Amino acid sequence: MSLRVLNPNAEVLNKSAALHMNINAAKGLQDVLKSNLGPKGTIKMLVGGAGDIKLTKDGNTLLKEMQIQNPTAIMIARTAVAQDDTSGDGTTSTVIFIGELMKQSERYIDEGMHPRVLVDGFEIAKRATLQFLEKFKTPIVVGDEPDTEILKMVARTTLRTKLYEALADQLTDIVVNAVLCIRKPEEAIDLFMVEIMHMRHKFDVDTRLVEGLVLDHGSRHPDMKRRAENCYILTSNVSLEYDKSEVNAGFFYSNAEQREAMVAAERRQVDERVKKIIELKNKVCAGTDKNFVVINQKGIDPPSLDLLAREGIIALRRAKRRNMERLVLACGGEAVNSVENLTPDCLGWAGLVYEHVLGEEKYTFVENVKNPHSCTILIKGPNDHTIAQIKDAVRDGLRAVKNTIEDESVVMGAGSFEVAARQYLVNEVKKTVQGRAQLGVEAFADALLVVPKTLAENSGLDTQDVLIALKGAHDRGNIVGLSQHTGEPIDPQMEGIFDNYSVKRQIINSGPVIASQLLLVDEVIRAGRNMRKPT
Amino acid sequence: MRELVTVQVGEFANFVGSHFWNFQDELIGLAADPLGDAVFKNQHLNMDVLYRSGETQQGVLTYTPRLVSVGFKGGLGSVSARGTLYNDDVDTPSDIVTWRGSVATHHTEPRKKNLFLQSLSEEEQENLVDGENSSRGEIEDKDIVKCLENDVTFWTDFSKVHYHPQSLYQLAGSWVDAQEFDNYGIGKESFSWSLQGEDIDERLRFFVEECDHIQGFQFIVEDSGGFSAVAGDFLESVADEYSNTPVLLYSVRSPSSNVLRENKRQIVSRDLHDAISFARLSSFCQLYVPVGLPSLSRSKAATHLCIDDQKPYHCSAVYAAALHSIGLPFRMEAQGPTTDSCYVSGALHVNDMVRMLAGQGRQNMVAILDVAMPAPTLLEKHLGQSLLGSLQPLTPEVKEDAEDLLALESMTVHGVFESGGDRASVSELKDQISAAYEGETVRPMLCHLSAAQCPLPVPLSFPSIFGNLVGQHGQLLATPISGVSSRGSLDVYSIPMAARLRSSNAVLPFIERRLTNLLRHGTVQGSSATPLLRSWGFGREELEDMGESLSKMVLALNPHSLTSSDSD
Repeated sequence: MSLRVLNPNAEVLNKSAALHMNINAAKGLQDVLKSNLGPKGTIKMLVGGAGDIKLTKDGNTLLKEMQIQNPTAIMIARTAVAQDDTSGDGTTSTVIFIGELMKQSERYIDEGMHPRVLVDGFEIAKRATLQFLEKFKTPIVVGDEPDTEILKMVARTTLRTKLYEALADQLTDIVVNAVLCIRKPEEAIDLFMVEIMHMRHKFDVDTRLVEGLVLDHGSRHPDMKRRAENCYILTSNVSLEYDKSEVNAGFFYSNAEQREAMVAAERRQVDERVKKIIELKNKVCAGTDKNFVVINQKGIDPPSLDLLAREGIIALRRAKRRNMERLVLACGGEAVNSVENLTPDCLGWAGLVYEHVLGEEKYTFVENVKNPHSCTILIKGPNDHTIAQIKDAVRDGLRAVKNTIEDESVVMGAGSFEVAARQYLVNEVKKTVQGRAQLGVEAFADALLVVPKTLAENSGLDTQDVLIALKGAHDRGNIVGLSQHTGEPIDPQMEGIFDNYSVKRQIINSGPVIASQLLLVDEVIRAGRNMRKPT
Repeated sequence: MRELVTVQVGEFANFVGSHFWNFQDELIGLAADPLGDAVFKNQHLNMDVLYRSGETQQGVLTYTPRLVSVGFKGGLGSVSARGTLYNDDVDTPSDIVTWRGSVATHHTEPRKKNLFLQSLSEEEQENLVDGENSSRGEIEDKDIVKCLENDVTFWTDFSKVHYHPQSLYQLAGSWVDAQEFDNYGIGKESFSWSLQGEDIDERLRFFVEECDHIQGFQFIVEDSGGFSAVAGDFLESVADEYSNTPVLLYSVRSPSSNVLRENKRQIVSRDLHDAISFARLSSFCQLYVPVGLPSLSRSKAATHLCIDDQKPYHCSAVYAAALHSIGLPFRMEAQGPTTDSCYVSGALHVNDMVRMLAGQGRQNMVAILDVAMPAPTLLEKHLGQSLLGSLQPLTPEVKEDAEDLLALESMTVHGVFESGGDRASVSELKDQISAAYEGETVRPMLCHLSAAQCPLPVPLSFPSIFGNLVGQHGQLLATPISGVSSRGSLDVYSIPMAARLRSSNAVLPFIERRLTNLLRHGTVQGSSATPLLRSWGFGREELEDMGESLSKMVLALNPHSLTSSDSD
């Protein structure tokens, strides 16, 4: 074959070996992630070579932590991670679904079936399942006042798979309220407008929603107040430091006096800018007990800080770029890029601004704002890995709420959709398919059951019993999911277990695509590294 | 005082940085040592320019580099990314407060600390236990040096500096072999700035926010592989966010990155990588200094050194020493604009240096790094000429005997001896060197000289790379010390250094090669490399823009070169 001629070192796996390599890789990855699934799954603690700890129950995080070498596994992992990027959840489900599709296919292929036939069946089954999903989903009315109960149920379902119940329930309210806070009618929800801030605190595990903003820095002047009420907020992006460093100003001094004069002149320009701000402060605050806070994206040097402090102004420098936008949404006013034409309309408002110090870390809270469209979720935890895990969970919770609002529908969870879809495929779709592609449909249908099966397995239940009970209850005309506690069929609607529609759709969509690609591989060619090495 | 923030991107950059910070740490230690050499006591170098003071939650004061380092996950060896300073509580990993269900623990085989790191932590323990009364640990310096010589895998293996928890950033989840992470495309593909960039930006912001008046950024970037894509995105965001703050960029590469390319495809890919990486990195900085010879051991710069090119531990030490010297003027305490102290002279800010070298005349922003390590003794007869002659480039692909009347230079000389065996005073140095320049036939248009008395200290963790002509204080001996081929930190305590940044047309071959390759493979219609470039995510237009900016650079240095590159 031509490649061998071109590169005698190239390694070639023939068709069946290639297929089995792919199947094994998919199964291997499935095995790793399987135990993550559901509220009874296993949390993974990864301890690195230097003792660094990572705590995760999230398939996405776990995949990223793993040093995957096998090319097939990388392909699956990429798909699963992309799943998370687009819909925010479902990484574990995607991986185990692909693994199960491969596993089911293996049975048929070992009996001599051509992968092409299976793939055709997959395609039919996929389309049918997606159609079924449209019928199965529960539409919800979002409108101006979304039903918070249903949002909470979705958030709770996600969060309970990442955190223990009490903690998950506490976070449920927080993430729902956070999304509702930043939501604007007629606009896509921008989750970046929820700031997630953390504090390392030895004895404290706590998470709360701050209606307003928490900044991770404080003022840099000893005389500035640490706490102020009734504050005007000026959000600005103006350099208040003496910039002789205009990078491209090719200017050279011919003598020391000239240099001094230059310095003085440039310093004066900065002072002018500070004075403009002070003027505005006097205009709005004079004769009242109101305070004035400047939050600047650029630097503020000590002389400028001095001037501001003398006037009782609190000033923060080098604020995050994203906080400029958040501040305006939280406090009102507008972000100014120049101190010319400052008017009181530019200013925002906060009832309370105060500083909190932990060692060298300073936090500034901007609270009691009117009608906020941006907020902060503040996570306290005893160590980095705990904080990181809660943070991941919060992100997933936020995504789940956002998805629900944008999908305007949810899907009943606890494996109920998978059972229903499987029965639909086997009982109705299969009949309409000609020839051996039927078997592809069947393989696909059985693969769907991996979700309830894994949920049962993770709960320590007998998978066969559970599946029989579920199928039975379903065929009696109910929609049933699996109770994690008893293994009995339950009604997910009653229990408040709902998944995101878009996540489910994405899994059904991408899983078979990858599985088909892996099944249709004719040859694996690799020049250089040995593929058969254990990975 | 104007602060400088350092950024290191890439494994080799971190090797260089590790040596660099070891020098600083050694200087701090020597200044505080009551029995130390007087020359280190009055350095008149302000460490606060590079370091920050902080405090842990327990109120313990800390002093750590103002540094953001970006590397591969797992590239820190036995050192934790959080460092040790801020880890007060011994975490009991067993209590997981977020999950009540079952737990599966996966342990990576713990990395063993090498002798050097063991001795460091032992020393710290001893200081805690019985203060002054430190009986020297069982680990002997000799063994430590041997251990480092034979076995350095990670840059942390020889680092004695405490880093701030925000300093060490590890790129997660790229699923790429380090060996395969060797070109711009793969870096761009496996690392998405939109996902991880914000974290890195935040780390940098943490250090910048503390600065009362930042003078600039000092980037050390490994540009031989995928990290240059990471650095490119990082620099772009820095240029955007801190538009008035100058960036001084050293692109470093280790000799081992110059492996032979087997086939044409690899060669083309390498050539394009070099061109694109250069075009992109240089567009976001104010001064670009390429560092890294294809074979350092055989270069003239290593005349008095014994380098093993295969060991990044060796080469990075030389580059770090040069970077240290170049950076000295940034933290000299200026005694007013005209008067100089007798310890230091020629203070500069990053911005001054950038403007001097790249801001006037030809506006050439690619500078050559020359070094004399160790710098020779100032002899009365030869004046400073021996010193000028001993400066040799660490920048690859430069013309050797370029005569350039428009050259601009900035030179730092420190710790040099005069013929009597004493350290030359700063004013003496200045006189000698300006006299030497007078004597040259081809003089640069401008040369700024910075001088200091304090030599480069050689910490224990420094590799044994000095030849047998190098004395205890770095003097060059007339007769070789018999019986040894290389000398290290046990025999040599400090080194006089001279280093120079040179903006000269000698750098033309470096730029021209990149331009030619870009034009030949990148922008020519129907080039065989087009699919490769597309897979790297570069469109024709973008490449044409790059080509244009490179030709501008060439044109500035050599107005006669017009169109010559178009013809091939």
